[in-house]
Amino acid sequence: MEITINWYLSLSAILFVIGVLGVLFRRNVIVILMSVELMLNAVNLTLVTFSQSMGDAAGQILVFFVMSVAAAEAAVGLAIVIAIFRNKLTVDVTQINLFRY
Amino acid sequence: MLSDFLPLLLMLLIATGLAMTLLKAAELLGPRRPNRIKQKAYESGMDPIGTARERYSVKFYLVAMIFIVFDVEVVFLYPWAASFDEFMAAGQALPVLGIVFFFIAILAIGLLYDIKKGGLEFD
Amino acid sequence: MIGPILFSVFAVAAIAGALGMLFSKNPVSSALWLILTLFCVAGLYLTLNATFIAVVQVLVYAGAIMVLFLFVIMLLNLAELPRLQTGDGKRFLGYVGACGIFAALMITTSSALGVLPEPVSVGVAAETGSALNLATLLFTQYALPFEVIGILLLVATIGAVMLAKRRFV
Repeated sequence: MEITINWYLSLSAILFVIGVLGVLFRRNVIVILMSVELMLNAVNLTLVTFSQSMGDAAGQILVFFVMSVAAAEAAVGLAIVIAIFRNKLTVDVTQINLFRY
Repeated sequence: MLSDFLPLLLMLLIATGLAMTLLKAAELLGPRRPNRIKQKAYESGMDPIGTARERYSVKFYLVAMIFIVFDVEVVFLYPWAASFDEFMAAGQALPVLGIVFFFIAILAIGLLYDIKKGGLEFD
Repeated sequence: MIGPILFSVFAVAAIAGALGMLFSKNPVSSALWLILTLFCVAGLYLTLNATFIAVVQVLVYAGAIMVLFLFVIMLLNLAELPRLQTGDGKRFLGYVGACGIFAALMITTSSALGVLPEPVSVGVAAETGSALNLATLLFTQYALPFEVIGILLLVATIGAVMLAKRRFV
């Protein structure tokens, strides 16, 4: 049985949807950020699949940039989580509903 | 090409297998007679005070964050280092060096800002 | 043939890790499950012959980003939260939305595959993902985006330092 790029794309779609479910269903902000990382990873998998199957390395350059953006997003996102936690002592998104109090 | 990574795969499998086997073997073979004194955090006789789950200072977060930024930087520098000879051969070494140093300088500003704000001072 | 075996092992483990992240109550175990997924995605990059990206995946994601996540979880020392949002109507809506996204993705990819130029077989192009090839592109054609990424990282550093150091009210 030959593994074609459809398999990789389907796997990527499954991972992306699991990430979406994590963002929708979890209450912990940190787990929501992890789900966003998972979604970024699914997109990266798609990019690398297309890049390798067409022999064009531009897609992999884009993966580099996505990884850098993911690192920056994690750094700033977690700093925001820390700042909110200092004020409200919670990371539950259902409790974080005010700009300030 | 993929077969180049066969040793890596084997090493991963052996390491995982060995660790799991040894942990399971210790659990199955070792005698376990727990009592109250043995289960204390410090068996030496010090009574533990307070909880072990204390929160840490935010400075640790700043150090970890700086680590991430420079980890990403090194990831970008690695392909440059790996193909420096090819750039030399193509006569492009100097412009590429300029690009890379500019990149490093941009990130150094962030580090300087962090130091100036006292993010790396532990008191 | 080792290719299909490797793909199925990595794919199943990646999905298992993602589901483990979704369903575990403790954020630390969520993070550890996600690390499993990230390693498996690195393995999938290897099966695609994108060797350099695979190494970078382990370095950046598993090595740095997840360390930061675990660090913050330990830093805040969180109590466990209830796993899923309450309210069955909302949850049902979420499942419907996720199924819709999945269907849209599958329809798009399957229809796009007919339009695309004939792809080289998966994993043939070994030199495409080599460090040399990527470096040549990154430092010539994509030099400006590269510097912009540097500025992005600088802004992220300064923003994170400000947010973490500042005393609110």
